[in-house]
Amino acid sequence: MSEVAVFLVLGFRHITDFAAMDHILFLCALAAIYRLQDWRRSLWVITAFTVGHSVTLALAVTGALAPSTRLIEFLIPVTIVATCVENLAVRDRARAPWGGRYRPVFAGVFGLVHGAGFANYLRSLFVAPIAVPLFGFNLGIELGQLVVLALAALALALVDRLIQGLLPRAGSPLRLRVIGVSAVVALVAARWAVERSPW
Amino acid sequence: MVARTLAALCATGVLALHPLHTTLTELRFNAVDRTVQVSVRAFADDFRAAAGGVSDSAAFAYLRSVLTLSDRDGRVMPLVWCGVRRDGDLLWLCLRALAPRGLAGVQVRARMLFELYRDQINIVQASYDGRRASLLFSRGDSAKALP
Repeated sequence: MSEVAVFLVLGFRHITDFAAMDHILFLCALAAIYRLQDWRRSLWVITAFTVGHSVTLALAVTGALAPSTRLIEFLIPVTIVATCVENLAVRDRARAPWGGRYRPVFAGVFGLVHGAGFANYLRSLFVAPIAVPLFGFNLGIELGQLVVLALAALALALVDRLIQGLLPRAGSPLRLRVIGVSAVVALVAARWAVERSPW
Repeated sequence: MVARTLAALCATGVLALHPLHTTLTELRFNAVDRTVQVSVRAFADDFRAAAGGVSDSAAFAYLRSVLTLSDRDGRVMPLVWCGVRRDGDLLWLCLRALAPRGLAGVQVRARMLFELYRDQINIVQASYDGRRASLLFSRGDSAKALP
Protein backbone atom coordinates (compact mmCIF):
# COMPACT_ATOMS: atom_id res chain seq x y z
CA MET A 1 0.00 0.00 0.00
CA SER A 2 1.34 3.45 -0.82
CA GLU A 3 1.76 6.05 1.89
CA VAL A 4 -0.93 8.27 0.37
CA ALA A 5 -3.38 5.33 0.26
CA VAL A 6 -2.76 4.47 3.92
CA PHE A 7 -3.52 8.01 5.07
CA LEU A 8 -6.45 8.27 2.66
CA VAL A 9 -8.00 5.21 4.31
CA LEU A 10 -7.27 6.70 7.73
CA GLY A 11 -9.02 9.98 6.83
CA PHE A 12 -11.98 8.21 5.23
CA ARG A 13 -12.52 5.91 8.19
CA HIS A 14 -12.13 8.76 10.62
CA ILE A 15 -14.90 10.86 9.10
CA THR A 16 -17.32 8.00 8.44
CA ASP A 17 -17.07 6.56 11.95
CA PHE A 18 -20.06 6.98 14.26
CA ALA A 19 -17.71 8.54 16.81
CA ALA A 20 -17.28 11.45 14.40
CA MET A 21 -20.87 12.46 15.08
CA ASP A 22 -19.98 16.12 15.62
CA HIS A 23 -18.48 16.26 12.12
CA ILE A 24 -21.38 14.33 10.63
CA LEU A 25 -23.99 16.56 12.26
CA PHE A 26 -22.17 19.63 11.00
CA LEU A 27 -22.33 18.22 7.46
CA CYS A 28 -26.04 17.48 7.93
CA ALA A 29 -26.61 21.05 9.11
CA LEU A 30 -24.77 22.39 6.05
CA ALA A 31 -26.70 20.08 3.73
CA ALA A 32 -30.12 20.67 5.31
CA ILE A 33 -31.03 23.58 3.02
CA TYR A 34 -30.21 21.83 -0.25
CA ARG A 35 -32.31 19.65 -2.51
CA LEU A 36 -30.88 16.88 -4.66
CA GLN A 37 -30.71 19.22 -7.66
CA ASP A 38 -28.56 21.64 -5.61
CA TRP A 39 -25.71 19.13 -5.41
CA ARG A 40 -23.21 21.51 -7.01
CA ARG A 41 -23.75 24.17 -4.36
CA SER A 42 -23.51 21.66 -1.53
CA LEU A 43 -20.32 20.29 -3.06
CA TRP A 44 -18.78 23.77 -2.99
CA VAL A 45 -19.70 24.20 0.64
CA ILE A 46 -18.29 20.82 1.67
CA THR A 47 -15.10 21.40 -0.30
CA ALA A 48 -14.66 24.81 1.35
CA PHE A 49 -15.01 23.06 4.69
CA THR A 50 -12.27 20.59 3.68
CA VAL A 51 -10.00 23.45 2.60
CA GLY A 52 -10.55 25.15 5.96
CA HIS A 53 -9.66 22.17 8.08
CA SER A 54 -6.74 21.30 5.81
CA VAL A 55 -5.23 24.70 6.58
CA THR A 56 -5.42 24.34 10.38
CA LEU A 57 -4.26 20.72 10.17
CA ALA A 58 -1.19 21.75 8.22
CA LEU A 59 -0.46 24.62 10.61
CA ALA A 60 -0.91 22.44 13.68
CA VAL A 61 1.11 19.51 12.36
CA THR A 62 4.01 21.78 11.47
CA GLY A 63 3.85 23.32 14.94
CA ALA A 64 2.89 26.79 13.66
CA LEU A 65 -0.38 26.60 15.57
CA ALA A 66 -1.05 25.07 18.98
CA PRO A 67 -4.77 25.37 19.58
CA SER A 68 -6.28 24.86 23.02
CA THR A 69 -8.03 21.49 22.88
CA ARG A 70 -10.69 22.53 25.40
CA LEU A 71 -11.52 25.70 23.49
CA ILE A 72 -11.71 23.85 20.17
CA GLU A 73 -13.90 21.12 21.66
CA PHE A 74 -16.28 23.87 22.75
CA LEU A 75 -16.15 25.81 19.47
CA ILE A 76 -17.01 22.84 17.27
CA PRO A 77 -20.59 22.46 18.54
CA VAL A 78 -20.86 26.27 18.47
CA THR A 79 -20.16 26.17 14.70
CA ILE A 80 -22.91 23.57 14.34
CA VAL A 81 -25.40 25.71 16.26
CA ALA A 82 -24.40 28.77 14.22
CA THR A 83 -25.00 26.86 10.97
CA CYS A 84 -28.44 25.79 12.18
CA VAL A 85 -29.30 29.35 13.22
CA GLU A 86 -28.34 30.55 9.74
CA ASN A 87 -30.52 27.81 8.23
CA LEU A 88 -33.46 28.97 10.31
CA ALA A 89 -32.88 32.71 9.94
CA VAL A 90 -32.67 32.84 6.14
CA ARG A 91 -36.16 32.03 4.95
CA ASP A 92 -35.66 33.00 1.34
CA ARG A 93 -32.30 31.91 -0.07
CA ALA A 94 -32.81 33.97 -3.24
CA ARG A 95 -32.90 37.13 -1.10
CA ALA A 96 -30.00 36.15 1.14
CA PRO A 97 -26.92 38.42 1.02
CA TRP A 98 -24.86 37.72 -2.13
CA GLY A 99 -27.51 35.18 -3.14
CA GLY A 100 -26.35 32.90 -0.32
CA ARG A 101 -22.89 32.56 -1.85
CA TYR A 102 -21.30 33.41 1.50
CA ARG A 103 -21.98 29.87 2.71
CA PRO A 104 -18.75 28.38 1.31
CA VAL A 105 -16.89 31.17 3.13
CA PHE A 106 -18.36 30.40 6.51
CA ALA A 107 -18.02 26.67 5.88
CA GLY A 108 -14.32 27.33 5.24
CA VAL A 109 -13.99 29.40 8.42
CA PHE A 110 -15.77 26.75 10.47
CA GLY A 111 -13.55 24.17 8.80
CA LEU A 112 -10.59 25.94 10.40
CA VAL A 113 -12.09 25.14 13.80
CA HIS A 114 -12.90 21.50 12.98
CA GLY A 115 -9.42 20.92 11.57
CA ALA A 116 -7.90 22.09 14.83
CA GLY A 117 -10.03 19.46 16.55
CA PHE A 118 -8.05 16.49 15.34
CA ALA A 119 -4.76 18.26 14.82
CA ASN A 120 -3.52 17.16 18.22
CA TYR A 121 -3.99 13.52 17.32
CA LEU A 122 -2.40 13.86 13.93
CA ARG A 123 0.61 15.74 15.20
CA SER A 124 1.75 12.45 16.69
CA LEU A 125 1.30 10.60 13.44
CA PHE A 126 2.89 12.85 10.90
CA VAL A 127 6.62 12.98 10.77
CA ALA A 128 8.60 14.92 8.22
CA PRO A 129 8.05 14.90 5.30
CA ILE A 130 4.39 15.54 6.07
CA ALA A 131 3.11 16.61 2.62
CA VAL A 132 2.14 13.13 1.41
CA PRO A 133 0.43 11.93 4.62
CA LEU A 134 -1.39 15.24 4.98
CA PHE A 135 -2.58 15.16 1.37
CA GLY A 136 -3.74 11.54 1.72
CA PHE A 137 -5.53 12.22 4.99
CA ASN A 138 -7.34 15.28 3.64
CA LEU A 139 -8.30 13.45 0.47
CA GLY A 140 -9.74 10.65 2.61
CA ILE A 141 -11.66 13.19 4.69
CA GLU A 142 -13.07 14.77 1.52
CA LEU A 143 -14.14 11.41 0.09
CA GLY A 144 -15.67 10.43 3.43
CA GLN A 145 -17.56 13.71 3.52
CA LEU A 146 -18.92 13.09 0.04
CA VAL A 147 -20.24 9.72 1.19
CA VAL A 148 -21.80 11.32 4.28
CA LEU A 149 -23.25 14.08 2.08
CA ALA A 150 -24.75 11.56 -0.36
CA LEU A 151 -26.35 9.61 2.50
CA ALA A 152 -27.58 12.85 4.09
CA ALA A 153 -29.12 13.93 0.76
CA LEU A 154 -30.99 10.64 0.52
CA ALA A 155 -32.14 10.88 4.14
CA LEU A 156 -33.32 14.46 3.60
CA ALA A 157 -35.23 13.41 0.47
CA LEU A 158 -36.96 10.77 2.63
CA VAL A 159 -37.77 13.43 5.22
CA ASP A 160 -39.36 15.48 2.42
CA ARG A 161 -41.48 12.49 1.42
CA LEU A 162 -42.50 11.98 5.03
CA ILE A 163 -43.51 15.63 5.38
CA GLN A 164 -45.50 15.47 2.15
CA GLY A 165 -47.26 12.35 3.39
CA LEU A 166 -48.07 13.78 6.80
CA LEU A 167 -48.84 17.35 5.68
CA PRO A 168 -50.06 17.15 2.07
CA ARG A 169 -51.33 20.76 2.10
CA ALA A 170 -48.13 22.25 3.44
CA GLY A 171 -46.75 22.98 -0.04
CA SER A 172 -43.02 22.58 -0.52
CA PRO A 173 -41.58 20.46 2.28
CA LEU A 174 -38.16 22.16 2.06
CA ARG A 175 -38.81 24.87 4.64
CA LEU A 176 -40.36 22.43 7.12
CA ARG A 177 -37.44 20.09 6.61
CA VAL A 178 -34.92 22.87 7.19
CA ILE A 179 -36.72 23.86 10.40
CA GLY A 180 -37.02 20.28 11.66
CA VAL A 181 -33.48 19.14 10.89
CA SER A 182 -31.85 22.39 12.03
CA ALA A 183 -33.81 22.46 15.28
CA VAL A 184 -32.86 18.87 16.18
CA VAL A 185 -29.19 19.30 15.24
CA ALA A 186 -28.99 22.65 17.04
CA LEU A 187 -30.47 21.12 20.18
CA VAL A 188 -27.92 18.30 20.24
CA ALA A 189 -25.00 20.61 19.45
CA ALA A 190 -26.09 23.17 22.04
CA ARG A 191 -26.00 20.49 24.70
CA TRP A 192 -22.50 19.46 23.59
CA ALA A 193 -21.41 23.11 23.77
CA VAL A 194 -22.69 23.43 27.33
CA GLU A 195 -21.02 20.18 28.40
CA ARG A 196 -17.72 21.08 26.76
CA SER A 197 -17.69 24.67 27.95
CA PRO A 198 -14.23 25.55 29.24
CA TRP A 199 -15.69 28.10 31.66
CA MET B 1 -38.01 6.77 20.16
CA VAL B 2 -37.20 10.32 19.08
CA ALA B 3 -36.23 11.20 22.65
CA ARG B 4 -34.02 8.12 22.88
CA THR B 5 -32.29 8.97 19.59
CA LEU B 6 -31.69 12.53 20.77
CA ALA B 7 -30.30 11.27 24.07
CA ALA B 8 -27.93 8.91 22.23
CA LEU B 9 -26.75 11.72 19.96
CA CYS B 10 -26.17 14.00 22.91
CA ALA B 11 -24.22 11.27 24.68
CA THR B 12 -21.77 10.91 21.78
CA GLY B 13 -20.75 14.51 22.24
CA VAL B 14 -20.03 14.06 25.93
CA LEU B 15 -17.05 11.99 24.91
CA ALA B 16 -13.85 13.76 24.06
CA LEU B 17 -13.74 15.20 20.59
CA HIS B 18 -13.73 12.13 18.38
CA PRO B 19 -10.17 10.99 19.00
CA LEU B 20 -8.12 9.30 16.37
CA HIS B 21 -6.95 5.99 17.83
CA THR B 22 -3.73 5.33 16.00
CA THR B 23 -0.15 4.27 16.49
CA LEU B 24 2.69 4.77 14.08
CA THR B 25 5.45 2.20 13.72
CA GLU B 26 8.54 2.92 11.67
CA LEU B 27 10.77 0.14 10.42
CA ARG B 28 14.20 1.32 9.29
CA PHE B 29 16.47 -1.21 7.67
CA ASN B 30 20.19 -0.74 8.16
CA ALA B 31 21.93 -2.43 5.23
CA VAL B 32 25.35 -2.24 6.90
CA ASP B 33 24.64 -4.38 9.94
CA ARG B 34 21.52 -6.06 8.42
CA THR B 35 19.24 -5.00 11.26
CA VAL B 36 15.91 -3.30 11.43
CA GLN B 37 15.13 -0.63 13.98
CA VAL B 38 11.51 -0.59 15.05
CA SER B 39 10.16 2.65 16.48
CA VAL B 40 6.61 2.60 17.84
CA ARG B 41 4.85 5.82 18.71
CA ALA B 42 1.77 5.68 20.88
CA PHE B 43 -0.09 7.91 23.27
CA ALA B 44 1.27 7.25 26.74
CA ASP B 45 -2.12 6.97 28.45
CA ASP B 46 -3.40 4.44 25.95
CA PHE B 47 -0.22 2.43 26.00
CA ARG B 48 -0.11 2.34 29.79
CA ALA B 49 -3.71 1.11 29.89
CA ALA B 50 -2.96 -1.69 27.42
CA ALA B 51 0.47 -2.74 28.68
CA GLY B 52 -0.21 -2.32 32.39
CA GLY B 53 2.64 0.19 32.71
CA VAL B 54 5.37 1.88 30.77
CA SER B 55 8.35 0.32 32.51
CA ASP B 56 10.87 -1.34 30.19
CA SER B 57 9.77 -4.84 31.15
CA ALA B 58 6.02 -4.12 30.85
CA ALA B 59 6.39 -2.25 27.56
CA PHE B 60 8.63 -4.90 26.01
CA ALA B 61 6.44 -7.79 27.15
CA TYR B 62 3.37 -6.10 25.71
CA LEU B 63 4.99 -5.16 22.40
CA ARG B 64 6.36 -8.68 21.94
CA SER B 65 2.83 -10.02 22.29
CA VAL B 66 1.23 -7.65 19.76
CA LEU B 67 3.93 -6.79 17.25
CA THR B 68 5.56 -9.53 15.23
CA LEU B 69 7.92 -9.62 12.29
CA SER B 70 8.42 -12.87 10.40
CA ASP B 71 10.79 -13.54 7.55
CA ARG B 72 9.77 -14.83 4.12
CA ASP B 73 9.80 -18.40 5.42
CA GLY B 74 7.50 -17.55 8.31
CA ARG B 75 10.19 -17.64 10.99
CA VAL B 76 9.59 -15.10 13.74
CA MET B 77 12.34 -12.49 13.90
CA PRO B 78 13.20 -12.06 17.61
CA LEU B 79 12.85 -8.50 18.83
CA VAL B 80 15.32 -6.92 21.21
CA TRP B 81 14.39 -4.04 23.48
CA CYS B 82 16.29 -0.78 23.07
CA GLY B 83 14.39 1.58 25.32
CA VAL B 84 11.53 4.01 25.66
CA ARG B 85 11.46 7.78 25.50
CA ARG B 86 8.65 10.07 26.52
CA ASP B 87 7.87 13.19 24.50
CA GLY B 88 4.92 15.06 26.03
CA ASP B 89 1.92 12.76 25.87
CA LEU B 90 3.67 10.44 23.40
CA LEU B 91 5.90 7.42 23.92
CA TRP B 92 8.63 6.38 21.51
CA LEU B 93 9.31 2.69 22.02
CA CYS B 94 12.41 1.21 20.45
CA LEU B 95 13.02 -2.37 19.33
CA ARG B 96 15.58 -4.03 17.08
CA ALA B 97 15.72 -7.24 15.12
CA LEU B 98 18.20 -8.98 12.88
CA ALA B 99 17.13 -8.97 9.25
CA PRO B 100 19.88 -10.77 7.31
CA ARG B 101 17.74 -11.02 4.17
CA GLY B 102 16.39 -7.47 4.31
CA LEU B 103 12.80 -6.33 4.74
CA ALA B 104 11.32 -7.25 1.35
CA GLY B 105 8.78 -10.01 1.92
CA VAL B 106 8.85 -9.69 5.70
CA GLN B 107 5.45 -10.37 7.29
CA VAL B 108 4.31 -7.76 9.78
CA ARG B 109 1.53 -8.00 12.30
CA ALA B 110 0.70 -4.95 14.42
CA ARG B 111 -2.12 -5.40 16.93
CA MET B 112 -1.28 -2.63 19.39
CA LEU B 113 -4.20 -1.33 21.47
CA PHE B 114 -6.81 -3.39 19.60
CA GLU B 115 -8.05 -4.57 22.98
CA LEU B 116 -8.81 -0.95 23.96
CA TYR B 117 -10.52 0.56 20.94
CA ARG B 118 -12.68 -0.95 18.22
CA ASP B 119 -11.58 1.83 15.82
CA GLN B 120 -7.86 1.46 16.55
CA ILE B 121 -5.68 1.74 13.45
CA ASN B 122 -1.98 0.95 13.42
CA ILE B 123 0.16 2.31 10.62
CA VAL B 124 3.49 0.72 9.79
CA GLN B 125 5.93 2.60 7.57
CA ALA B 126 9.03 0.79 6.35
CA SER B 127 12.14 2.28 4.76
CA TYR B 128 14.45 -0.17 3.01
CA ASP B 129 16.39 -0.57 -0.20
CA GLY B 130 15.80 3.07 -1.10
CA ARG B 131 12.03 2.85 -0.94
CA ARG B 132 9.15 3.33 1.46
CA ALA B 133 6.17 1.07 2.01
CA SER B 134 3.19 1.48 4.29
CA LEU B 135 0.84 -1.03 5.89
CA LEU B 136 -2.38 -0.35 7.70
CA PHE B 137 -3.79 -2.62 10.40
CA SER B 138 -7.24 -2.56 11.91
CA ARG B 139 -8.97 -5.08 14.15
CA GLY B 140 -9.16 -8.56 12.68
CA ASP B 141 -6.34 -8.05 10.20
CA SER B 142 -3.83 -10.84 9.85
CA ALA B 143 -0.13 -10.48 9.00
CA LYS B 144 0.74 -8.42 5.91
CA ALA B 145 3.85 -8.68 3.79
CA LEU B 146 6.15 -5.81 2.86
CA PRO B 147 6.54 -5.64 -0.93
